Amino acid sequence: MSYLDNIRNFSIIAHIDHGKSTLADRLIEKTGLVEARDMKEQYLDNMDIERERGITIKLQTTRLKYKANDGQEYILNLIDTPGHVDFNYEVSRSLAACDGAVLVVDATQGVEAQTLGNVYLALDEDLEILPVLNKMDLDSARPDDARAEIEDIIGLDASEAPEISAKTGMGIDGMLEKLIEVIPPPQGDPDGRLKALIFDSYYDSYKGVIIYTRIFDGRVKRGDTIRMMNTGKNYEVTEVGYCIPGTVPADELKAGEVGYICGSIKQVADARVGDTITLANAPADAPLKGYKKAQSMVYCGIFPAEGEKYENVKDALEKLQVNDAAFNFEPENSAALGYGYRCGFLGLLHMDVITERLAREFDLDVITTLPSVVYKVVMKDGQVLDIQNPSNLPAPALIAHIEEPIVKADIMTPNEYVGSIMTLCQNRRGNMIHMEYLTKTRVQLHYEMPLNEVIYDFFDALKSRTRGYASLDYEFLRYQPAKLVKLDILLNREPIDALSTIVPEEEAMAKGRGICEKLKEIIPRHQFEVPIQAAIGQKIIARETVRAYRKDVLAKCYGGDITRKKKLLEKQKAGKKRMRQFGSVTVPQEAFTEVLKLDDGR
Amino acid sequence: MTADNMDKKRGIYIHMPFCVQKCRYCAFLSFGAEGSPRKEYTDALEKEIKLRAALEKENGTDRPADTIYIGGGTPSVMDISSMSEMVKTLKRSFGVSPDAEFTLEANPATLGRKDGVMLAKLQAYKFMGVNRLSMGVQSMDNDRLHYLGRIHTAENVGRDMEIIRRKGFDNVNLDLMFSVPGESGDDALNDLEKILAFSPEHISCYSLQIEEGTPFGRMAESGELTEVPDEEDRETYHRICRRLEAAGYEHYEISNFAKKGGDPDAPSPYRSRHNSLYWNMDEYIGLGLGASGFINGVRYKNTSDLDEYFAALSEGRLPVTEEHKNTAFDNISEAVFTGLRRREGIIYEDAVRAYLETDDDAKKVFSEADSCSEIFWEIFADARKEACDYAERGLLIIDNEGLKLTEQGIDISNSIMSLFV
Repeated sequence: MSYLDNIRNFSIIAHIDHGKSTLADRLIEKTGLVEARDMKEQYLDNMDIERERGITIKLQTTRLKYKANDGQEYILNLIDTPGHVDFNYEVSRSLAACDGAVLVVDATQGVEAQTLGNVYLALDEDLEILPVLNKMDLDSARPDDARAEIEDIIGLDASEAPEISAKTGMGIDGMLEKLIEVIPPPQGDPDGRLKALIFDSYYDSYKGVIIYTRIFDGRVKRGDTIRMMNTGKNYEVTEVGYCIPGTVPADELKAGEVGYICGSIKQVADARVGDTITLANAPADAPLKGYKKAQSMVYCGIFPAEGEKYENVKDALEKLQVNDAAFNFEPENSAALGYGYRCGFLGLLHMDVITERLAREFDLDVITTLPSVVYKVVMKDGQVLDIQNPSNLPAPALIAHIEEPIVKADIMTPNEYVGSIMTLCQNRRGNMIHMEYLTKTRVQLHYEMPLNEVIYDFFDALKSRTRGYASLDYEFLRYQPAKLVKLDILLNREPIDALSTIVPEEEAMAKGRGICEKLKEIIPRHQFEVPIQAAIGQKIIARETVRAYRKDVLAKCYGGDITRKKKLLEKQKAGKKRMRQFGSVTVPQEAFTEVLKLDDGR
Repeated sequence: MTADNMDKKRGIYIHMPFCVQKCRYCAFLSFGAEGSPRKEYTDALEKEIKLRAALEKENGTDRPADTIYIGGGTPSVMDISSMSEMVKTLKRSFGVSPDAEFTLEANPATLGRKDGVMLAKLQAYKFMGVNRLSMGVQSMDNDRLHYLGRIHTAENVGRDMEIIRRKGFDNVNLDLMFSVPGESGDDALNDLEKILAFSPEHISCYSLQIEEGTPFGRMAESGELTEVPDEEDRETYHRICRRLEAAGYEHYEISNFAKKGGDPDAPSPYRSRHNSLYWNMDEYIGLGLGASGFINGVRYKNTSDLDEYFAALSEGRLPVTEEHKNTAFDNISEAVFTGLRRREGIIYEDAVRAYLETDDDAKKVFSEADSCSEIFWEIFADARKEACDYAERGLLIIDNEGLKLTEQGIDISNSIMSLFV
């Protein structure tokens, strides 16, 4: 019997809040890796932002030891996957490192759009899938319905799906037994040429980049010279080991195993997820399939706020990039905001995570501008330009036409919300491809929509219209010509480049009016009137005025309560720090991102 | 106690959280007087006074009070008997300077329905040592008084003032409120004329602030009430300032005016000495529900929960919920933003002293050779540019000695003060 028979490499796939992290915690606890008293809730989630939102972007990989009922000890490598549409590629690479997946379905909620999306990704990687019904400790659990949904919607036999509660630990042992039975052991030749898949990496200030890898063939040890087959770069291995979690050195890693490799690599972009590691002196003939370069879908400008140093922002962005191959940035100069950076992200969540980390981890005060997608601008002379910054849009006279990215959006919802979702999608220029009843009460809507419409608060609008029940999955489809114009915003008659947007021509009027109204709410009163105008080229299409003057005086200091007064002043000062000066007009920084959050209840 | 603290004035503030009825704009801590535990309250207050005085003695920081201020609520609704006991305890426990200012807040129509009762009540206050009365007149228009939820009429004010004067009170403040919804600037000036007719020694003028959680707050939200536009409010304020100056009052603080004495260039002898403590970084002991104090460099605040207040004192503890030892920066910052409320503004030397005396290390950083102005602007280096902008716009005066707001600067005083926190 081979050592391979006692290894299981698997992922947990689940909809965002269906309990993936909690289950991972329970597994760690069950297999005795971490003492119960040391358990932080959701041990594997290690970023605050994720913990707060209850979303898991990156979990740690963990090697568990489990003594099964057959008396044998198994190595269970739990390879976790990010749980959000922005990170589909990363999910697919993590899945490629596995031989099977545990599909967690919330027994109170049933199957959701993302679950389906991730299941398809798992099927594409040829993974054996073990469905599991979670949250069985809740009274509202309806396991039979959930089972029926798994069978009807996904097509998996769920009759023997373990019923568990990741929260209470109920049914976990049974699930582990089932896992060993259903998920096949890895295959591979430890004496073949090295082929190892990078499925994750992060930067450690002592060891350099730590690569998480699954070895498919061959073996690797300290001192070997490895080569990244797609980037062609060579590195000397300084350490290999297992992730238990954390890094525990080992003599070597061999076919079928999951572990980490360090090699004094300076940034994660040099050890890109999906790349194949081989040995420089005995390379494999071909890399593993599926490597893709990260492609930014959403861009925005990040500028130092008043009083913040450009250098600090640059340092922080560089540090973040070291650890995030999907994030890129280049210098940008805005007339309104000065020197800053144009940053590219996988999607909106990715953008939120990065900007929040700038504030929290680096304590930076930055202004983020409106997110934008990449437009293909076809010029009259035949040139095609990629434009993601509205300020760089060439003069209309030079443009033949503009194309915008279209995504395929799948929305899953209880049937009673279909009407309002259809209205929402229509307002967002969505084109319904078809609609299917997955069960009697659950519907999936397939739309084609401009990405531009998805990136502004679409998800929030969807959630609010469906009381949180609808779920969304989207992926890039194609570029498509559209009638688009640049909408400029003028404050006190001065154009503010950071507020320019590219919008569909027929919506320019409504959008312009909406932005002006919103700015009127956001911009504080000054000692003079501040006109706010929206314009296309020279033509003003909307106007609002912020009335002059605002008194700002407290008549009384009640009973010597200086502390209360002080708190008010401190709050005011903190608010002002988040303001930006444009000539003589003061604009709160949130204006730049809030302005297009126009929920279209219209 | 340091010698510096010895020069500081000391006041005592006592809060009386009961009213006949709550006004519709009031977000202040008060309860209806009817059936309220007023006696229990003064008993608890006496316990607090004793605890606080014992603590001061223990720390060796006890010294007589220069001012006493009984505020509310409506202190004049309290029973004279229990009030008098409480004041006796207060004087015995803390000691009071012979020339102390002793203010009592009173509302018109709460001093007694019959002239005889009123005269006797005022006599009782005199015995207690009260030498300054502050009357919550607010308006001289009966419709507006009714709208505000006040219980008195303009006629009540006239009668009260007549008896107060007859009783020999020669230091009286009258409160005037303006920018009540529906009130024009002319209306406010008319009110002011009627108030001036009483020749009060002191007038407090302030615009109505609509606060959340009050009946007015709810009415503003539902659109039932329209606030007076800021522009009008400020215009009225400046008209009031003009009129009071012409009438011989010194505008010595944002909302406070005092009748000038014999020498028109000297500070008015009728300035509120107690309120001035708050703007001068002097010390004050706060007693009673929700009261604040500032003693030996520590700011504290009492609980605002009446049950908790009673519970603490019945267990023999002080009812303090918040306590903060001021840092050197806290001190200079507070010295600046409270000091800027005074029309004479702040003097660098005083502000810098508030800083240096809290922090021995700071003394080493700034050499003797540095002028107070240099030290000041080094501490507030971040604020300097904006402060100069305000000065250029005629809102703030910066000179070699210090800073002060102009009358226009008062309108946006919070923005200017917030530079220094």
